Amino acid sequence: MFMENGKNRKSSDRPIRVLLAKPAIDGHDRGVFVLARAFRDAGMEVIYPGLLPTPEEIVDIAVDEDVDVIAISLLNSSHMAVFRKLMALLRKRKATGIAVVGGGIIPEDDKPELERMGVTGNYGPGTPMSEIIAHIRKRAAQARAAKWKGR
Amino acid sequence: MDIARITAGLKKGDRASIARCMTLAEDDPAAFSKIAKKLYDPKRMPRVIGITGPPGCGKSTLISQLAPRLAAGGHRLGIIAIDATSPFTGGAFLGNRIRMEETVKAGKIFMRSIATRGAKGGLTESVMSSIMALSCAGYDMVVVESVGAGQADVDILNISSTVLLVLAPGLGDEIQAMKAGSMEIADIFVVNKSELPGADVAKNAILSYLYTLQGHSSKKVTMTSCTKKEGIDLLASLVFDHEKGVDPAEFAERAFRMEVDRIAKELASKRIESVAAGSGAEIGRMLKKGMDPYTAANALLKRSMG
Repeated sequence: MFMENGKNRKSSDRPIRVLLAKPAIDGHDRGVFVLARAFRDAGMEVIYPGLLPTPEEIVDIAVDEDVDVIAISLLNSSHMAVFRKLMALLRKRKATGIAVVGGGIIPEDDKPELERMGVTGNYGPGTPMSEIIAHIRKRAAQARAAKWKGR
Repeated sequence: MDIARITAGLKKGDRASIARCMTLAEDDPAAFSKIAKKLYDPKRMPRVIGITGPPGCGKSTLISQLAPRLAAGGHRLGIIAIDATSPFTGGAFLGNRIRMEETVKAGKIFMRSIATRGAKGGLTESVMSSIMALSCAGYDMVVVESVGAGQADVDILNISSTVLLVLAPGLGDEIQAMKAGSMEIADIFVVNKSELPGADVAKNAILSYLYTLQGHSSKKVTMTSCTKKEGIDLLASLVFDHEKGVDPAEFAERAFRMEVDRIAKELASKRIESVAAGSGAEIGRMLKKGMDPYTAANALLKRSMG
């Protein structure tokens, strides 16, 4: 693939910026590294802040880095608490334009509630990477439209 | 968020506005230029501490320990950390925060990770614009971490008031130290990971190289160990000492010159590209006529600038 050095491109086809994070006491970071690698290879700029960030830190980082998508991987059943907190903080910071995508070990019963909160994807083990990437791209496009509304 | 709101937010120091402004600088320079027109002020050029060095020598970790001490000197501090974009996919893994998160959180420091997006020389196209965004928001000192840099990546000199070259033991002998490039641009040489064997040898190799260099007396060599948290206070004081000797007007002019040069080249190359792209048939004719590539390129250049 030929790299164009970003000349003459519109902001719509700029690299998607994704914050990939694992909050709560969850050290199972194999999956998140596989995702980071896959997102990078899909042409995205992946920001990974290390293990154990709090929801507050995630929102601070997402705002400073002006990401399009926050992608959270959780495997320790803390997803409902974490996402509730995260979505509330995003509202408080008026950063609701940022898309939030989840994944990991998330029971079917919890998914409708997460979707209602605005957390989409919620993929489990064995999901094809292409499906996750396509979903991130779709949500990033929506987030950008919201971000630059009124410009 | 529109440009008027970003401009107003910048003046108030609003973090989301700084962040959005940096995105504009990267994604849409034409839109960013409207903000620059309103807010650019050479008198507010912040001090820029440029940190360069080979990959894995501990730049990010060193910054995480140095930054609080710089901020303690009464500065509002921003950090811009640059990582490499993949030339194949255009993607990037920006991992500097892993080492810096604690520092950034504790010190209310604004930090941004930026990918090179194909730029060479160790920096990004948008780095000066990002520094400007911070200065508009009241930040008076910015630490710029270059991408893990080689000997020839010397652009950081032009945007920095103080340049730190971070090295580690075992990277090479005095022959390496004699080579041109990054060794010539540093104001302060930092032998990091000083707890490892060979640190003294590395320091001595740098010192003996410096004695052969003109103007060496202003250059400093120091050792740090981030695992043992040693030498960081001394390094901070060396940075402040060097900053005292920097003439702000001279530095602002140097940074301005570099940025004007970059933007002019970018605009010119866009015009040439648009002319070259529309002259496929003509290039064919030039080739048929037996024109040499220099004459052909000159003809295209003349037309695009005319």
